[in-house]
Amino acid sequence: MVARRRKRAARDAEEGIPSPPGYSAVPIKFSEEQTASHYLYMREHRVRDGAKSSWPQKRTLFVLNVPPYCTEECLARLLSPCGPVQSVELQGKPELTESPKEPKSKFFHPKPVPGFQVAYVVFQKPKGVSAALALKGPLLVSTESHPVKSGVHKWISDYTDSVLDPEALRVEVDTFMEAYDRKMAEEEAKAKEEEGVPDEEGWVKVTRRGRRPVLPRTEAASLRVLEREKRKRARKELLNFYAWQHRETKMEHLAQLRKKFEEDKQRIELMRAQRKFRPY
Amino acid sequence: RPAGVRRPGGMGPAPAGAQPRGDAGDPEMMEPPLEGTVKKGKKEFSKKHTVAGSPVEGLLQPVKLSRAELYKEPTSEELNRLRETESLFHSSLLRLQVEELLKEVRLSEKKKERIDAFLRDVNQRIMRVPSTPETELTDQAWLPAGVRVPLHQVPYTVKGCFRFLPPAQVTVVGSYLLGTCIRPDINVDVALTMPREILQDKDGLNQRYFRKRALYLAHLAHHLAQDPLFGSVRFSYTNGCHLKPLLLLRPHGKDEHLVTVRLHPCPPPDFFRPCRLLPSKNNVRSAWYRGQSPPGDGSPEPPTPHYNTWVLQDTALQSHVQLLSTVLGSALGLKDGVALLKVWLRQRDLDKGLGGFSGFLVSMLVAFLVSIRKIHTTMSGYQVLRSVLQFLATTDLTVNGISLCFSSDSSLPALADFHQSFPVVFLDSSGRLNLCADVTASTYHQVQHEARLSMVLLDSKADDGFQLLLMTPKPMIRAFDHILHLCPLSRLQAACHRLKLWPELQDHGGDYVSAVLGPLTTLLEQGLGARLHLLAHSRPPGSEPFCIPQWDISQDPPKHRDSGALTLGLLLRPEGLTSVLELGPEADQPEAADFRQFWGSRSELRRFQDGAIREAVVWEAGSMSQKRLIPHQVVTHLLALHADIPETCVHYMGGLLDALIQGLKETSSTGEEALAAAVRCYDELSRLLWGLDGLPLTVSAVQGAHPVLRYTEVFPPTPVWPAYSFHKHFPERASLLPRPDKPCPAYVEPMTVVCHLEGSGQWPQDAEAIRRVRAAFQLRLAELLTQQHGLQCRATATHTDVLKDGFVFRIRVAYQREPQILKEMRSPEGMISLRDTPASLRLEKDTKQLPLLTSALHGLQQQHPAFSGVARLAKRWVRAQLLGEGFTDESLDLVAAALFLHPEPFTPPSSPQVGFLRFLFLVSTFDWKNNPLIVNLNNELTVEEQVEIRSGFLATRKQLPVMVIITPQDRKNSIWTQDGPSPQILQQLVVLAAEALPILEKQLMDPSGPGDIRTVFRPPLDMYDVLIRLSPRHVPRHRQAVDSPAASFCRGLLREPGPSSLMPVLGYDPPQLYLAQLREAYGDLALFFYDQHGGEVIGVLWKPTSFQPHSFKASNTKGRMVVSQGGEMVMVPNVEAILEDFAVLGEGLVRAVEARSERWTV
Repeated sequence: MVARRRKRAARDAEEGIPSPPGYSAVPIKFSEEQTASHYLYMREHRVRDGAKSSWPQKRTLFVLNVPPYCTEECLARLLSPCGPVQSVELQGKPELTESPKEPKSKFFHPKPVPGFQVAYVVFQKPKGVSAALALKGPLLVSTESHPVKSGVHKWISDYTDSVLDPEALRVEVDTFMEAYDRKMAEEEAKAKEEEGVPDEEGWVKVTRRGRRPVLPRTEAASLRVLEREKRKRARKELLNFYAWQHRETKMEHLAQLRKKFEEDKQRIELMRAQRKFRPY
Repeated sequence: RPAGVRRPGGMGPAPAGAQPRGDAGDPEMMEPPLEGTVKKGKKEFSKKHTVAGSPVEGLLQPVKLSRAELYKEPTSEELNRLRETESLFHSSLLRLQVEELLKEVRLSEKKKERIDAFLRDVNQRIMRVPSTPETELTDQAWLPAGVRVPLHQVPYTVKGCFRFLPPAQVTVVGSYLLGTCIRPDINVDVALTMPREILQDKDGLNQRYFRKRALYLAHLAHHLAQDPLFGSVRFSYTNGCHLKPLLLLRPHGKDEHLVTVRLHPCPPPDFFRPCRLLPSKNNVRSAWYRGQSPPGDGSPEPPTPHYNTWVLQDTALQSHVQLLSTVLGSALGLKDGVALLKVWLRQRDLDKGLGGFSGFLVSMLVAFLVSIRKIHTTMSGYQVLRSVLQFLATTDLTVNGISLCFSSDSSLPALADFHQSFPVVFLDSSGRLNLCADVTASTYHQVQHEARLSMVLLDSKADDGFQLLLMTPKPMIRAFDHILHLCPLSRLQAACHRLKLWPELQDHGGDYVSAVLGPLTTLLEQGLGARLHLLAHSRPPGSEPFCIPQWDISQDPPKHRDSGALTLGLLLRPEGLTSVLELGPEADQPEAADFRQFWGSRSELRRFQDGAIREAVVWEAGSMSQKRLIPHQVVTHLLALHADIPETCVHYMGGLLDALIQGLKETSSTGEEALAAAVRCYDELSRLLWGLDGLPLTVSAVQGAHPVLRYTEVFPPTPVWPAYSFHKHFPERASLLPRPDKPCPAYVEPMTVVCHLEGSGQWPQDAEAIRRVRAAFQLRLAELLTQQHGLQCRATATHTDVLKDGFVFRIRVAYQREPQILKEMRSPEGMISLRDTPASLRLEKDTKQLPLLTSALHGLQQQHPAFSGVARLAKRWVRAQLLGEGFTDESLDLVAAALFLHPEPFTPPSSPQVGFLRFLFLVSTFDWKNNPLIVNLNNELTVEEQVEIRSGFLATRKQLPVMVIITPQDRKNSIWTQDGPSPQILQQLVVLAAEALPILEKQLMDPSGPGDIRTVFRPPLDMYDVLIRLSPRHVPRHRQAVDSPAASFCRGLLREPGPSSLMPVLGYDPPQLYLAQLREAYGDLALFFYDQHGGEVIGVLWKPTSFQPHSFKASNTKGRMVVSQGGEMVMVPNVEAILEDFAVLGEGLVRAVEARSERWTV
């Protein structure tokens, strides 16, 4: 039964809406009023052998070309008739791993403006995926029962959301800093413990906190040292001492002039080509 | 016969000066090896040129020479040339440039031959013109119907007889003979010596000579016009002098534009007695001229110096050319110098019209300098140019005249006599003729001014000195801050009578425009006083300034009033513009009467703070823009008072563009005051921040980082007092919110202020932790400002918004080491290196470079008060053309700053109008591909550093953005143009600027009124594929539109200061939010263009490359659909759906989506 339906869907796709091989196309519109629709290109999420993916096999639907006004909740609602949806993740571009689970702070990571996205929809059962592939649509993002805000209404609600509670921010900062301080204290304690204690081969680690300050291991510092060496050497050298040095300086001067002359000539050629010598 | 008198018929042995430039002098012939390389380079280039659209086209490449070539033994020619370049020129580039320019303007040998042949023909034809029987001068019935006398014969009656006889002699005179004439517009001057039989005794009196001269030409014109040899036969004036017409002959057919032969009739040698023509003598009798008997009291007849000079000029044609050919003779450098000087004068519009500083004058000046050994004949053209400019810049011929006459003959008049009659004195070798007779003091001062500017430029060793000196035109409209037209010109006749200029009229033969010019300019110069730097005038005649009229032989000569308008240019002194007061003498001083007489009813007695009672004039001007326009008040007042020229005849072009940067309700100010108020408020805030108690770290620096704080915000902010009823309230967060059922509330943009804290070791060394600590500081700042100063604040993780006196500031706390921490990268060996990351660059830009730039430009505004207006007009224009998003605010400000820091060859603009014109000129002509725009803020870059920057630029050109702007703080990367514009957008801007400039200049130079000044600010819309029309209800800045709507929506603002316990709606601009969404979703399919200042339309341009069908790619499906095309599955943009999306995303804001092209249906 399922196989037959799938076959029919494939035929439909072939006859009706063209879709790329392996994908099925489902039209999606914002609401009833629109005449033209975008197309979601969906397929079951699969990975090549050996590639790792954190998305569950068989149960994950991979959706391309999700329009900007379609949110995760919308997509979950639109696909729920196919079977219970476990999670919906919208991303800018296809990525194999799930994004970290801990929620991003709304204070420090404001929501980006959405464009066209890709979605990974995880159903509770593999059946959901095949049902979704057979969807005919068109799907409607905004309906009377579930209106979706757009335009002025959306901007006003976005603005309202952007006015955040400073108290909450303070609490968040405090908790973060407490954790950070704890972590730093632990590291320091560990470093102190290890200081001056030779490891099994007898090496002693020298740190910034040691009694005698050491040169920091940065690129800038090593460049500075090299530069100083070079200057020291240059000071010792004698200039225009031997006749050949004289000759060479003169020749160098001439070469400079020649180079300048060539440059100037090139410039003139260019200006001539641009008719820059027509005074009026 | 003197040697200079030669017939072109036979051409004879031409004077030495006429020798074509010898082969030996040709720079390329001098050095065969070098020439070879030049040729090769050319060939290579032309090959490159044919490859259309190749990216290297027109791009300078860093020079790569092999070691062998660089270090080969020099030849003696090469050494010679290098030495010559060093001693005679400034640099090899300059030498090459000068040589190229001379090649361009010099006449080729081939053309010379054709011209010579034509001259021979002309000579024959002239000699064949038949004679006429003698008639009375007043009887002109013998003249055929098809020709009119090229002279206004007023009064008509003149005694005397005229007959035509072929000229006794036809001689080529002038620059053609000397080899100093320059292309285009080659003129050959030919002197026709009238036979003695035509002339009578006393012909010098009462214009009789000029009448005969004109009739002579009329008869000649009639016969020559019938000759098929000539393509056109027309009349014109000699140097614009209306008593001295001349005949212009042009060859027929394809040579028509090759040459113009100008026929000047002249008297036989020694016909006039020179002593009768001295400047103190009278040769136009009042009785004849005014038609009345001389006054009985026996008062002497007024002298007629100009009239006398014009007669004398005709007698001296040949002696002058003789003198010049002996001096210039074989000295090629001198000839080059004269040619360069001619180009220099012409670029400055100084050489045309009556009293222009003509090429002849400058040749004579060179001859003078040779005679006093300031110039040597072995000098190069460049050195001659420099010496002449130096001489002009450092001497004053209005006080100490010069003379080419070195005889000690006591019968000759003294220089002082000439100074009495003429403003500028430069006598020729006869000692009797003032070559500068018609040059007004203003014109001479203009020449001096230009010479001084040029000398500064030459001394500055700027790389592009040549370009600025000789290749950049300086039309009046772009060179002067304010322009005014006096029109109709017939009003000047009344002015002549009012100023009692009857003797001058008599002298000028009724040319009231020239007669009144001197007194008028003196009057205005005196009135404008300290406000004025330089006053220049157009030189009549000519319907367009600086162009001598020509007319058909069957027409009457143009009347004096036909020359359109008298145009005056004012170069203002910015420091003089700030005062509204004209301080006069103390009331009891005798000068007080003069002052009262000069200023008329505007002069008032005033008591000053120091107790003095003085005469004074006070002008009404409240704002900066009104103060800038005080010259307008002065000019109209003085002209009406002293010259009887009513205000309606004065068309003043000074503040016409001001309307575009004026606030919504204020029409009396162009916003400088509002900006200053905002800056004051910012200063107060920074003081509060400095003195804040209880911050864990004290504030070490507060820096502005917003256009308002550098005076370049197009529409300055006004204090906002929101009406609470208009908004939704959000009392828990002390904020107001927009309401969907009301129009969009007023747009309030917070002004960014960067706040640095003192250094401390307590800062964490981890990027995430630093952000948290900064957030804690933002919270604390808000708390303290509210507690200690009662200011309404709102803190977020990145900034604190503060409401102070109706202005909103956005304070961003910065930690100096944060960019460095963002840059740190640890290599596997544990070495820490610093690498730029996008985040670190952004942070550095926002917290380091932007405040620096803001303070530098703030300083610039203090030096040049017009900077604000210019920068804002420029930005306004770019945004009005819908290109605002392509350019950062800072990059446009820097381009405007360049106009002030590098004004050469102009002076820094003192009015927004002229600054804006120069902005358009700069944008449309600057070669962005091959040059960085160096903006030397605070003069921090030395010449050597600039050279280094330029060479570094060439080497890394490909990695740099299309538009490169270098400042002392940013010597390599051009950070303000990194993210745009794209080459296409820049090109579009260049094209639009090139179109707008001539339109606007024409409008401003049109004496009948500029018409609609906003024309150039309206964008062309026909190029866009889709137009999205917006509903003004949700466009908060609707009133700022170029064509400001008569009515708009209420934006919920109170007129009076209201309660300030709730934060107004900040930065809420629906069109911008909409655009951000559009760009994010459809950015790779289309470009979106919008004018943020009240635009009602968004222009959409599809990207052609994105519309190419391509095969399916999972990573590139955005907004596309699969279609089968020829049996293949390809992806194309889903345009129908996208167009509907435009409406969906902008629901409420979008009024209509108009698809205007069918391009997407390929």
